[in-house]
Amino acid sequence: MRRRLRAEPRLLAGAGAGFVAGAVIGALRTGQPDPAPHIAELSAHGTGLLAWLILGPLLGVVLARFTSRGMGTGPAVAASGVLLGMVLWVIWSLSLLPLLVGEAPRWSAPLAGQAYGELIAATMAGGLSAVVLIALGPLIPAPAARAAAQEERTRIVILGGGFAGVSAARRLESLAPRSRGWDVTLVSRSNYLLFTPMLAEVASGAIEAHHIGAPVRVAVPRTRFVRGEALDVDLARRCVRVGAGEREQELPYDQLVLALGAEPTYRDLPGLAEHTLTLKSLADASAVRNHVLAQLEAAEGEEDPAERRRLLTFAVVGGGFAGTELLAELRDLVAAVARFFPDVRGEPMRYLLVHSRERILPEVSAGLAAFALRQLRERGIEFRLGARVAGATERALLLEGGESIEAGTIVWTAGNQTSPVVQALPLEQSAAGAVKVDACLRVPGAEGVWAIGDCAAIPKGDGQHPPTAQHALREGKALADNLAAALRGGEPRPFRFEGVGMLVALGHRTAVAELRGARFTGFVAWLMWRAVYLGKLPGLEKKVRVLVDWVVDLAFPRDIVLTGAPDRLSEHQAEAPAEAAS
Amino acid sequence: MTAAAAAPRPASLVRRVPAGAGAGALAGLAGGLAFGAAMVEQGDMLPTIAAIVRSDAPGVGFLVHMVFAAVIGALFGMLVGREGVRSAEAIIWGVTYGAFWWFLGALTLLPLLTDNAVLWTLEAAQAGLPSLFGHLLYGLVTAGVLVLVRGPRSAASRRAPTPALARGAAAGAVAAAALLWILTANAALLADSGFAGGSRALLWLAGLATGGLAGGAYGAVYPRPRGGGGPAMIRGLAYGVALWAGVAVTLVPLLAGDGLAWDLAGARARTASLPGFALAGLALVVLYRAVSALVGSLFEDDPRADEDEGAGTRFLRALGTGTLAGLAGGLLFTGVLLEVDGLPTIAGIAGGRSTFAGLALHLLIAVLIGASFAVLFRRETFDGASSLAWGVCYGVAWWFIGNLTMLPWLLGERPEWTAADLGEGFPSLVGHVLYGAALGITLGVLRLRSRAWWVSTSAARGERAQRQREQLLSAAPALWALVAVIALVLPLLVARA
Repeated sequence: MRRRLRAEPRLLAGAGAGFVAGAVIGALRTGQPDPAPHIAELSAHGTGLLAWLILGPLLGVVLARFTSRGMGTGPAVAASGVLLGMVLWVIWSLSLLPLLVGEAPRWSAPLAGQAYGELIAATMAGGLSAVVLIALGPLIPAPAARAAAQEERTRIVILGGGFAGVSAARRLESLAPRSRGWDVTLVSRSNYLLFTPMLAEVASGAIEAHHIGAPVRVAVPRTRFVRGEALDVDLARRCVRVGAGEREQELPYDQLVLALGAEPTYRDLPGLAEHTLTLKSLADASAVRNHVLAQLEAAEGEEDPAERRRLLTFAVVGGGFAGTELLAELRDLVAAVARFFPDVRGEPMRYLLVHSRERILPEVSAGLAAFALRQLRERGIEFRLGARVAGATERALLLEGGESIEAGTIVWTAGNQTSPVVQALPLEQSAAGAVKVDACLRVPGAEGVWAIGDCAAIPKGDGQHPPTAQHALREGKALADNLAAALRGGEPRPFRFEGVGMLVALGHRTAVAELRGARFTGFVAWLMWRAVYLGKLPGLEKKVRVLVDWVVDLAFPRDIVLTGAPDRLSEHQAEAPAEAAS
Repeated sequence: MTAAAAAPRPASLVRRVPAGAGAGALAGLAGGLAFGAAMVEQGDMLPTIAAIVRSDAPGVGFLVHMVFAAVIGALFGMLVGREGVRSAEAIIWGVTYGAFWWFLGALTLLPLLTDNAVLWTLEAAQAGLPSLFGHLLYGLVTAGVLVLVRGPRSAASRRAPTPALARGAAAGAVAAAALLWILTANAALLADSGFAGGSRALLWLAGLATGGLAGGAYGAVYPRPRGGGGPAMIRGLAYGVALWAGVAVTLVPLLAGDGLAWDLAGARARTASLPGFALAGLALVVLYRAVSALVGSLFEDDPRADEDEGAGTRFLRALGTGTLAGLAGGLLFTGVLLEVDGLPTIAGIAGGRSTFAGLALHLLIAVLIGASFAVLFRRETFDGASSLAWGVCYGVAWWFIGNLTMLPWLLGERPEWTAADLGEGFPSLVGHVLYGAALGITLGVLRLRSRAWWVSTSAARGERAQRQREQLLSAAPALWALVAVIALVLPLLVARA
């Protein structure tokens, strides 16, 4: 407290100015008639002057807090003093004083007339406080330079700009006003927070790509943002090496938050990296959309029926959220734009989902998964359940057992692994490569290191918390609270969260939803999906943009404009026949 | 430059007379003459002033008054010169300065100098009402003459303001037409306002002419409107009240041969036209600013617009912060409404009578007004003082717009603006002041929290200092004080001693 008063001498000057004003006004008020009964009662007890000696400094402190020193601020301080006096009259004379003498405040015109003397006194006190404060101005020392304090700030580095990392940074920002000694830096290879639940809709062209990406700089404006890739972490020297293009820099830290998420893994299966698409970023989603439209364009001019059938085969590997939603959306995209391709229009399209387990959507209950399977099958989607992928060529997807499925489009959504940076750390890791943390999200054996999100194995009973977006968001907040508690000498709390539920869009305005045990299917679930995820989408502006996209999508056909350079897969496929010919 | 002008003046003489004091004293004498003439017309004020020098002769009183007028004018000239206030804005400062001297001089120093007890009672203030009008006139004339004596301070203000004058006249005529429409649609209100004497055609003609003149004068004085839409509203409100004092309480009674209606009975009899004038002034300035902004956006390139984040973002940001701030203010206001049982009346807007419906509607309105405040004052609220002050001013403006005008209409009634009606609405004024204060402070806190990391403390201070400078030059603090004066004068008119 003493330090705070020392740091803000202007407040002390304000209190002094208010005291002088209160004393003068109180003295002038002494002996004046008070028609207002409650004020007269106060004066009769001889407390009128005392009240002004208390109210004056209070008024002066508020005035000093609300105004600032500097050239030309005098008139603003004076006018503010008068206005503050008026507000003080409303609060004190018309509201609190009646309450203090046991009456209900009425704020009526007659009562205001009776208390008019107090109104003049309060505005005069405000004006006089301002004049004294202005006069004291040259004597008030300027606020001490904060350079030293800047150097002493705790450096918090967050690696990863996904849900977990940005959520932690946002929470730290909201805690920052109470702890100005933190310097938070967030490192991410992309400068936006990707809202992954809507990625499939970007791939199908229902939503513009950049509408589901919230710029990190906007989401966390008081956090220092470094666009770059974390290359390695030196736990001994407490610094992170970050690369951005040709440039590298070292970021020293006092507290490190690992929130690097997960990356697609092809499990060393041959040909997958070269011949399949993935769905982890906006670029991936745009590439999928472009590739599908390119296949339709190619099929339109194709004379060979077998090749046309291959071009019109769309395969997705992985029957989890991402794979199921993506294939359903791709089916809607192709169905919606087929009218623009006369030769393709009558052709049978083949949509295929390959999944290693016996049922799709393992994250939801068996009943909902069965509903989803039935719905999608009725729309002509083919499922190969219990089938394992052995590899891919430029023209086909290879399954274990030797089966080859000719397909123009293959999207891989079947595997993720933690970041190589995390895997390289000398820390205890789970079988999936995630860093093991305690219930408070601290990494055991590494002082000042925390981990959240998909790259962390967070204990939950005998198992772990699942790597979902809703968990990552809560983990980010919990981590920020725990980190703040640790820095302030408090006790971190164990992370506890039970998932709210699951929502899966199945295209064609249907979905399945499971919220707090209640199950929904069909159109109602689809509406819930849109409402919930629109609400969760970061930033009001993005919400509006996505909403507009949805409305436009209801009224107009999907766009078939091919944008950007040909995608990697199309290039491979284009080269293959040429090589064969040579 | 002529040789005479280039010749150095005696340095000692220049050093002895502070800058602006001479011009200020001259202007003060002019203001004193105007105030003195009014006092002569009123009759009983000059002997009171003469009592300062232990005399009761009106002539002595006039002389003492002129000495004070010159000294106070010199002080004003020095203050305005020191702060570098733009010519036109000095007029607002002048009126505020005059009001300030009523509190300090007439209500406080005069009793002390004449060995009387200082009485800050309603009766004393009501008795001093003619003096308040006189002080306002003094401030206006002093500032006006000072502006003329000092001459235009920039090349821009030397330009012939014909388009601005035309825009102002048109805006004034439209605002006057709206006011006349309200008055003529309500016979009782017309009679209470004191304009029911002549024919309707003459009333419309005179009203439109007055509106056009008032608008033209505004355009001539302020050819390039400064500040956003929010400050324009407050400026308009203050201009409207000033027009009421100048037209309804001064010119109309003078032209009717009734003399000045500056005493309590005269002013109170004309209170019914005060809200109308205030709203007409508000409409005039807002219209004038809107048309000027439209003309500016079509024919002028303003580089500052490049830094604007866009209407959509502004709106969404305002919706977020304004909703919270409006809710905070609305909850505070709810305390007043519960005490005076005002919520069922608000529910009447939606055809109900339940307190709960009234509360929901009240909070919805509070949120909407909060969001509009965040949009209209986005460039003006940058520290605690400006946030609080603009918030209170906006609250008072909404008392005129909402409680006195829109609420009766929404309830299917016609607005009644007599002193008794304004008295009944006084609790609502208190609520609006509290609402505005909470709205401004909450919004200020929310905005302070959103400072980006890259803005260093010194840069933030520099930006704030720049804005303070602009705020001062746009006479914003004077406007805040004027709104406080309006709120201070209202109890005089509506409360019975």
